Amino acid sequence: MTFSLLQVTLIAATYTGLLFLIAWFARRRSDSGRSLVSNPLVYSLSIGIYCTSWTFYGSVGKAATSGIDFLMIYLGPTLTAFSWHFILLRMIRISKESNVSSIADFISLRYGKSQLLGTLVTLIATLGIMPYIALQIKAVSTSFALVSGITSRTIAIPGTVESLTLPTGMVLTAILAIFGIIFGTRRLSSSDRHEGLIAAVAFESLVKLLSLVAVGIFITWGVFNGLGDIFQQFQSRFPQQFTRLMTLSTGTDGAAIPASTMLLMSMGSIMLLPRQFHVMVVENADQRHVTTAMWLFPAYLFLINLFIIPIALGGILLTGSAAGADYFVVSLPLLRNNGGIALLAFLGGLSAAAGMVMVESVAISTMLLNHLFMPVIVRITPKQWFPVLLINLKRFGIVLVVCLGYLYYRLAGNSFMLVNMGLISFAAAMQFLPAMLGGIYWKRGNKAGAICGMGLGFVLWAYTLLLPSLIATPALHPLLANGPFGIALLKPTALFGLIGMDMWSHSLFWSMLFNTGAYLVCSLLLPQSEREKEQVHRFIGSFEQEARAYRAALKRLSKPVTIPQFTALLGKFIGQGEARHAMESYLVERQLEPDSAVEDFELPGLKRFVERTLAGSVGAAAAGAIVDSYLSDMGSRMESVYDIFSTVRTSLDQSREALYVRLKASEIMNRTLDLQTICDDLLQLLLKEFKLDVALIQLRKNSDFPLEVISYQGSDRRPITPEHWYLESEPYFKMAMIDQRVHLVNDLHQLNGILEMEKTRAEGFVSFAHVPVFREGEECLGVLSVYSKSIVGLFTEEFSNLLTSLTGQLAQAARLMGEMEAREAARRTMQQAQLEKARLMRDMEIAQQIQLSLLPEEPPAIFGVELAGRCIAAAHVGGDYYDFFRRDDQTIDLLIADVSGHSVGAALIMAEVRTLLRAQANRATSPGVILNALNKQLHDDLSRAELFITMFYARYNAATGRLSYANAGHNRPLLHRPGETSCRELDAEGLILGIKTDVVFEEQSIALQAGDVIFFHTDGIPEAMDPHGELYGVERICLHLSTVIHEPAARIADSFYDAVQEFSGSQALQDDVSMVVLKILT
Amino acid sequence: MIWRTTRYRLLKRLQLRESWIIFFILGNVMINFPFLKIFNQPLTLMGFPLLYLYLTLGWAASIGVIYLFTQTAAPEHHPGETPPPP
Repeated sequence: MTFSLLQVTLIAATYTGLLFLIAWFARRRSDSGRSLVSNPLVYSLSIGIYCTSWTFYGSVGKAATSGIDFLMIYLGPTLTAFSWHFILLRMIRISKESNVSSIADFISLRYGKSQLLGTLVTLIATLGIMPYIALQIKAVSTSFALVSGITSRTIAIPGTVESLTLPTGMVLTAILAIFGIIFGTRRLSSSDRHEGLIAAVAFESLVKLLSLVAVGIFITWGVFNGLGDIFQQFQSRFPQQFTRLMTLSTGTDGAAIPASTMLLMSMGSIMLLPRQFHVMVVENADQRHVTTAMWLFPAYLFLINLFIIPIALGGILLTGSAAGADYFVVSLPLLRNNGGIALLAFLGGLSAAAGMVMVESVAISTMLLNHLFMPVIVRITPKQWFPVLLINLKRFGIVLVVCLGYLYYRLAGNSFMLVNMGLISFAAAMQFLPAMLGGIYWKRGNKAGAICGMGLGFVLWAYTLLLPSLIATPALHPLLANGPFGIALLKPTALFGLIGMDMWSHSLFWSMLFNTGAYLVCSLLLPQSEREKEQVHRFIGSFEQEARAYRAALKRLSKPVTIPQFTALLGKFIGQGEARHAMESYLVERQLEPDSAVEDFELPGLKRFVERTLAGSVGAAAAGAIVDSYLSDMGSRMESVYDIFSTVRTSLDQSREALYVRLKASEIMNRTLDLQTICDDLLQLLLKEFKLDVALIQLRKNSDFPLEVISYQGSDRRPITPEHWYLESEPYFKMAMIDQRVHLVNDLHQLNGILEMEKTRAEGFVSFAHVPVFREGEECLGVLSVYSKSIVGLFTEEFSNLLTSLTGQLAQAARLMGEMEAREAARRTMQQAQLEKARLMRDMEIAQQIQLSLLPEEPPAIFGVELAGRCIAAAHVGGDYYDFFRRDDQTIDLLIADVSGHSVGAALIMAEVRTLLRAQANRATSPGVILNALNKQLHDDLSRAELFITMFYARYNAATGRLSYANAGHNRPLLHRPGETSCRELDAEGLILGIKTDVVFEEQSIALQAGDVIFFHTDGIPEAMDPHGELYGVERICLHLSTVIHEPAARIADSFYDAVQEFSGSQALQDDVSMVVLKILT
Repeated sequence: MIWRTTRYRLLKRLQLRESWIIFFILGNVMINFPFLKIFNQPLTLMGFPLLYLYLTLGWAASIGVIYLFTQTAAPEHHPGETPPPP
């Protein structure tokens, strides 16, 4: 059962109408903000565009002729899916950031926005994809012929049924081109996602999956009795063929393409084919969708391939041979008289082909527009119809791509099976692999490497694969049989004597060898340009890049640009309506008011947005150049005079040079942040471009400093002395600085002024100009001076405008530099201070160590007495001090003192006290006398240091049991006697040390009994504070003492420390805590 | 419950960039010679060709692996799943 031609056409047209409806609906939804396609399912289905007629028809043919190895084409992408988590996501992230619109854009962006590279990628893609498109045309026109009733295999050969076949192919080509135009060029900005296109593609993916599965089910269970039945029947009828088809050929005989070649190609192509890049990267709505697609897409491939083998084997069983196996999907249902299934299969195949051609042609036409047409267009005078021209060029690109495919189909369409045709395109796409992978993972990969590698690979691919594929009878053609000029080594299919390989592996091997080799070698040998380095950071070190881009953007923008200005710039390229629309959505997103002044910090973002939007329609390379040159002029005072296109229009010839200088100058400024380099390079540029003889830049830090020559370029570079000729122009410098205008003399000999300028004249200069360096609304930073020996009247208004524009940028760079230096200085000061502090801390720690070592290590042993001393400093060093002197076996002196303050001074005084006391200790004088002597000795030092000391000095004689003591204003020690509840305070009259020179210290004494405990302490203990501000106080000391009186002396001392600590809670010690405990044992 | 948390923890650990690379390499090894050679024989298993079974089942298994992995990346797809331990 077949259909009439009319019926088939009608059904196909209806189906097409349905597609349009879906696309229209998706577009409407997207316009109203409820996107239909922004979900992981649609994203995965759209990646299903990988399955074209190749899969739909070709796989069956491949399975029937060479067997199971066709699966490699689908296993490769499944494997690659494992890598999406890092490779694909990175590609998407980079692309979204820079608004990449195609794979050519991506690669050229990475290698310094290289125009040449973009063109090369476009060329490879355009030519490489020809066989692939031809495959679609061939498959659909053949299946169309089959379904519409002509089952003869010869149908595809033009000429047999002239009136029918010829139009089929051509009409189909035209329809496919129209598809592409309608879905792909509604808007110019191609980085806008094509929601309609994607919706149609996703729907088509669904249709082809369903129809192939339907055919599979029909064959497997409708015609045979299940999968096992097919295998068994086949094995028993064609045992030899069964063995051949169900194993992989090892591929040494040169006949079959080895599985590994197909695997490798498919792994690369899933991401490198222009349409795959387009749907996976450019049309990605949300990075999270990738996670789902990672398993959903392989699952899709799995399902669509599930019935390929049953259909292929079933087909051989039914028809008796593998002839025409490419079209089993349509011909088997027809053979079994099931027209419905056949029609469904035809629609599936149509879907597969149409989707592929649509997306592929849109992707490639975008590349053509941005990388082939655009570089030419930016040079010509723009007119009002600029956007119209661009969109029509894009349409033209689509038609061109489809027509090239048709051409290839006519030339070579019959020599190959579908799959083998497709593999030619895969091999072409593989040429992007080294530059792509190297680009996102290898920092040293450079432009030269990418161009050489890709160029070589492309040439080899074209020579070893494309060229032979175009020759109808390979064996007879002299080029293939004997090589060019009879040189056998250069035979396209056996290059350098490599024989025994199939054409595809052979070509892949040589092209990839040279491609990768050249990429590596050139990258290692040649340096990267500054522009490339910037991009490397962007592609590989993404964090650093953010700050860099921001700085660069900030630097370029010296003067606020208003939003309408940006909109106007955009409108020149993408049309006013689109521009306004894009800008509005951006403003809403950033919550900005249109027409209002833009805050400084918003500007870099806005600039990036404009660059991105432009990149969508003119490519990243051109967009960067346009916005850069536009903005570098906005920064000066010239935006009213100059705008990139109108100037070129009004005064084409004279501005050429100026435009070049501007572009160069902005390059210089953006290349580095070093002011010296910027000045030197800028002057060199001026000298070179305008045949000047001397150029110099003088700058000052601010108005308090005199001008200083930063850079002097040109002839006679003698040392700059007060006698130098240039100083004759000083009045001009000053005038320029004050009135912020250009001061120029176009003919020195006509100068009838007050100034003589003899030296300048003697040097042979005839004209000069002095241009102030300043930012609008700020004071002048310096002067740029240029002198010419040859040209009178050099300084036209145009020229001085240019110079003003340059100094505007220079002022920006200088100011930025100044800010950076100031920041750097501040940073250094802070570092110094921190270092200083650290050193001080260290010193204090050492001082503390020393001070601790000055305290007695342990109290001397005296019979019948137990002693313990503790000192805990609040700060690193403190002023507390206690000591013991053993006079004889029964007498011991003990003292506790507190130097005011916790400073190092206090610590030093304490050390002095110690020295003096040690000297005193051998004299048998009483405590009062000792204190008196000490006071005399210390008085001068203490009053100089504005410090004073309190001290309690006691002497205990174990034989008499008496304690004699004197007090210099110190806290009174507490005596606690066993059995008594309260404490006695030991006191004696005396003044603090260091107040008066001659003080008499009263001496007291007391008899002690066994069990008595005397607690000497400094004010740190009674004055310890709890969190509520309450003091520890003497009562608490006494109370505590009574509870611990039976403990050994050392334990008593420690318990006090703990008690104080507990009392003051979590707070650190407010004051030094020192104590001495004397306990009488017998 | 325990199984869920254990599985979650295990997958969380595997949810590393390195795992993806390891699986990527492993997959490459599995469908290349000489590994492929083991199955590249004209034998049948229950009426199905050996290589066909190997490729189809291996393929399905690898899709399953990717599925499991990506699920831990987005646990919100499992409303019933116990929240991950911090």
